Amino acid sequence: MSAPTLPSGTGTGPAHGGGRPHGTGGTGAAGATATGRTATAATGHDRAATPGARRDGPATGAPRRRPPLALLVGAGALALLGTVLVAVTVGPSGLGVAEVLRGVGGHAGLDVVPLDRLQDAIVWQIRLPRVLTAAAVGAGLALAGAVMQSLTRNPLADPYLLGLSSGASVGAVAVLVLGVAVLLPVAAFAGALVALVASLALARSGGTLSPGRAVLAGLAVSQLCAALTSFVVFWTATGDSYREILDWLLGSVAGASWSSVAISGTAVLVVGAVLLASSGRLDAFAFGDTAAAALGVAVDRTRWTLLTLVALLTGAMVAVSGSIGFVGLVLPHAVSALTGPAHRRLLPVAALAGAVVLVWADTLARTVFDPRELPVGIVTALIGVPVFAVVLRRGRGPAWA
Amino acid sequence: MGLSDRGGAPLRITGLRLEGVGTRLGGRWVVDGVDATPPPGRLTGLLGPNGAGKSTLLRLVAGVAAPEAGTVLVGTSDEVPAPAPQDAAGRPDGALVPLHRLPRRRRARAVALLEQESSLAVPFTVREVVALGRIPHRGLSAPGRDEAVVASALVAAGADHLADRAWSQLSGGERQRVQIARALAQEPSLLLLDEPTNHLDVHAQLATLALVRSRGTTAVAALHDLTLAAAWCDHVLVLDGGRLVAAGAPADVLTAELVARVWGVRCEVLVHPRTGHPVIAFDGPQPTGPDDGPVTAHAGADGPARHASGADGATTPVGTGGRS
Repeated sequence: MSAPTLPSGTGTGPAHGGGRPHGTGGTGAAGATATGRTATAATGHDRAATPGARRDGPATGAPRRRPPLALLVGAGALALLGTVLVAVTVGPSGLGVAEVLRGVGGHAGLDVVPLDRLQDAIVWQIRLPRVLTAAAVGAGLALAGAVMQSLTRNPLADPYLLGLSSGASVGAVAVLVLGVAVLLPVAAFAGALVALVASLALARSGGTLSPGRAVLAGLAVSQLCAALTSFVVFWTATGDSYREILDWLLGSVAGASWSSVAISGTAVLVVGAVLLASSGRLDAFAFGDTAAAALGVAVDRTRWTLLTLVALLTGAMVAVSGSIGFVGLVLPHAVSALTGPAHRRLLPVAALAGAVVLVWADTLARTVFDPRELPVGIVTALIGVPVFAVVLRRGRGPAWA
Repeated sequence: MGLSDRGGAPLRITGLRLEGVGTRLGGRWVVDGVDATPPPGRLTGLLGPNGAGKSTLLRLVAGVAAPEAGTVLVGTSDEVPAPAPQDAAGRPDGALVPLHRLPRRRRARAVALLEQESSLAVPFTVREVVALGRIPHRGLSAPGRDEAVVASALVAAGADHLADRAWSQLSGGERQRVQIARALAQEPSLLLLDEPTNHLDVHAQLATLALVRSRGTTAVAALHDLTLAAAWCDHVLVLDGGRLVAAGAPADVLTAELVARVWGVRCEVLVHPRTGHPVIAFDGPQPTGPDDGPVTAHAGADGPARHASGADGATTPVGTGGRS
C-alpha cells in the first residue's frame, strides 16, 4: 500500500515545484525520496542511520566535486601569462616570444640584447598596452558581472546594469559628434557616473535599495540614454563620425595606451581586492536579504557600497574600451560551473578567465580580417552566445529554471 | 565594514525577554505590544493563525529588523556553556541588554534564524549551503574548525548523506533538513525557527523537534500543528492579530475555548493516554467565524480544558514520558 509515502510525496512536490521547478532531477528526486521514506518507515530506524537514505537515484546523485582553488588560480595565472606573451607576438612583423621577453626585459632594466627600434615600438608602444588593457578590462568586466549578479540575485545582470554603458555612450557621442572638447575616456566616465547616480536615486525608496528596483531603474536610465545617443547621432552625425561612434558603441581596445593600462589595471586591482575581501558578505546574499541579515550582514549598506564600487569599476572599463558585451554576463556563469558559486573561489578565477578570454577575443578581432579590424564586442558576442547556450542547456541551479 | 567586532569573545544568549515589542507593515501593527519571556534552554512554540504575526515576531527576535516599539532584551554571557542561572521567575541573573545594540556579526554568532521560505539563486551544493552558517565566524575560528562544525551540523540534521548533492535537486523535506543544518552550523545559543516542520513527513517532523529540544538551546519555533506543539514545546505563546493572547505550558494554554476563539474551529482537547500531552481533535470550523460571539460548542467539556494563563504563566515542563 502506498499510503505512507503518498502524502509526503504530494506534500513536498507542489510546494517547491510551483516556485522553482528543478529540471530533470525533480521527478527522480521525488521518486528516490519516496523510496527512502518507505525504507525508513519499514525499519523504523533513525533517519541518519537509514540505509535507504543513502540513495543514488538516476540524474540526482551526481555529487559535485570542486577542484581546489589553488589549482584553478595557478592554472589561470599561467594561462594568462602565456596568453599575454603569445598574443603580443600575433600579427604582422614576425615577433616571437623571445623577442617579446627581450623587449619587456629591456624596459625593465634587465641586461638583455635590446630589440631594434621598430620591433621595440611594436611590442612596447602598441601591442603590449593593448593586450594588457584587454586583460584588465576582461578581468574587470567578469568581476563586475559576478558581483552584480549576486547583489541583485539576478542571473541576467551584467556590469552595465545600472545604465552605465548607455550613460558612457552619451558622453562619448558628445565628444565624437558634438565636438565637446574633453578627452573621450573622461567624457565616457562622466556619462557613466551621471547614469549611475540617476539609477541609484531612482532605485532607492525610503533609503533601502531593493534589487528589483535597481534593475528597473537601470533599465529606465539606459533607455533614456540610448534615446539621447540615437537622437544626437541621427540629427548630426555624418560619414566618418558614424563609423567612429559605431566602433565605440561596440567596444574596442584598439586605441589602448599605457595610460589605459594604468586606468583599467588600477581599477581592477583596487576594486577587485575589496570585492574579494567582501566574498563572505556576497555569499550571505544567496538566500536573500533576510538570510543575509541573520548572518550578520548590514544588507543595505553592503549593497549600496558594493554596487557603487562595481559601477565605478565598470565606469573605468567603459572609459578605456567602450561597452564590450557578454563577458560580464556569461563568464561568471561559465566559471561558476567549475568553481561553484562561493565568491572566494568564483571571483579570482572569473577575473583570470575574463582576462584570458578578452585578450584572445581582441587578438581575433585584430587578425581575422586583417588588415581590417572588428570591434571586439562583436567577437565576444559571437563567442559568448554559443557558450551561453551551453551553460543554459546544462541548466545549473533554480535560477535558470 | 562590519569588521569592528572581529576578535570578540564568543557570545552566548542566556535569556530572552520581549517587552512591548511591536512593529508595523504598511501602516498596520502586525506585531503589537508583545510581552513574553521564553524560558532559557527550552523550546517555546509560537502559535497563531495565518497572519497572526509569527514570522514578523521571529524576525524581530532574530534582530533582522528592529522593532518600532518596545525592546527585545537578551541576557548574555561570554563564558563557555554553563547552565543559565535563574531567579524564581525563570529569568536569567545577568543584566539584560537590547538585542539591537549588539554588533551585527557578534549577534549572528549567537542567534540563528531558519526562514520559512528560502529560495536559492545560485547553484550551491548542500555542504556549501551549510557552510554559509559559518560566515559570522569567518576569520575567528581555528583552522579546520569550520569544516568540522559543518560536518557535525550535517550529521545532527540527518543530512550528511546529501552533502555533495546540488541544492536545486533536493526535495522540499531535504531542503528543510539542510536549512536546519545551516542554522546549527551558526552554533547558536538562540535558535529561531519559522515553521521548521513545513514540508516534512511525520517522522522528520518528530525528529526535527526532538533534535531542537535535545540541544538544550533556547529555541522559539513558529508551528501550525497544535498537537505537535503540545507534545514537544515546554512553553507556548499564542498570537492573534499581532497581540499575545496566551502564554504558558501547553496543557494550560491549549484549551478548546482558546482554540475556538483564536482559530475559529471547534475541537476537543483530549489527553494522550501514554504521554499525558494534550491532543487536539478538531470537529470543524465554527459557523460564526473566529471573533464573533461567545464560544458555545465544547467549551468546558469533559476534556482537560482549562483557562489560559497570563503572559507570565507557569513554565513548568509538561510530562516527559515517551519522548526518547
